[in-house]
Amino acid sequence: MRAPRSPLVPRERALQRLGIFTWVSLTAALGLIFFVAREADVTMGGQLQRIFYFHVPAAWAAYLAFAVVFLGSIAYLRTGARRWDLLAHSAAEIGVVFTSLVLITGPIWARPVWGTWWEWDARLTSSLVMWLTYVGYLLLRGLSTDPARTGRLAAVVGLIGFINVPIVHFSVQWWRTLHPSGPAVAAIDRGSGLGGPELAAFFVSLIAFTLLFAWLMATRIRLGRLSDRVEQLEVAA
Amino acid sequence: MSDLAWLFIAFSAVWVGLGLYLFSLGSRQRDLERRLREFEEGP
Repeated sequence: MRAPRSPLVPRERALQRLGIFTWVSLTAALGLIFFVAREADVTMGGQLQRIFYFHVPAAWAAYLAFAVVFLGSIAYLRTGARRWDLLAHSAAEIGVVFTSLVLITGPIWARPVWGTWWEWDARLTSSLVMWLTYVGYLLLRGLSTDPARTGRLAAVVGLIGFINVPIVHFSVQWWRTLHPSGPAVAAIDRGSGLGGPELAAFFVSLIAFTLLFAWLMATRIRLGRLSDRVEQLEVAA
Repeated sequence: MSDLAWLFIAFSAVWVGLGLYLFSLGSRQRDLERRLREFEEGP
């Protein structure tokens, strides 16, 4: 008898379609970023400001991932069901990938514009703390051989770690920081903010990164299920 | 270094980063599928 299919594991064809949509939208975003969006004001880095169209969507995808870790952790602590642990684990891994992209592209923009790679201001520091928290979450999972204990511990970290996510997001409003906020980051001319072509590039990139997150999640969950199956066979052997 | 050179480095970093993660997923999947085949085929 076949094991019932988890609702979290999409069918193979749906996964392939999602992958195609993701790569088509990423290609469209690249076209809009480089051929449609206009060059920004020199105070925002001129051509270099185009990093914004990947930097912000990557940060958005990281927030989304850590929100999934948070919800998956709550569900796991309530039910103890392995599928929620796998959901949270997968999202944490993908969130760390996206946060790494944010932490790499940010300093590359900052070096020529601010004259420094890094400033210990509220946004940058809280982002680094967020990255370290979830790297810690992933390391923690490798420390114990008891999956239930590891799952519970990781879920507690996933719950507590999420406290930092709104701090990262609102840090530019709560404290005085060097980091730009809102539409100013994409100012084409001083004070004009985002124009139509720039908004199109930004939102298509945002959609593309959301699809990329969903596709990576589905792929990572499928991998986790496969890993569970192999482990069960190894234990039974 | 020019703005365009920095831009190229940033975009390359994004694609290399995503590429490495996809490679890691693919590599783990191939390893698991190999182990699964070994179990199904038996000793």
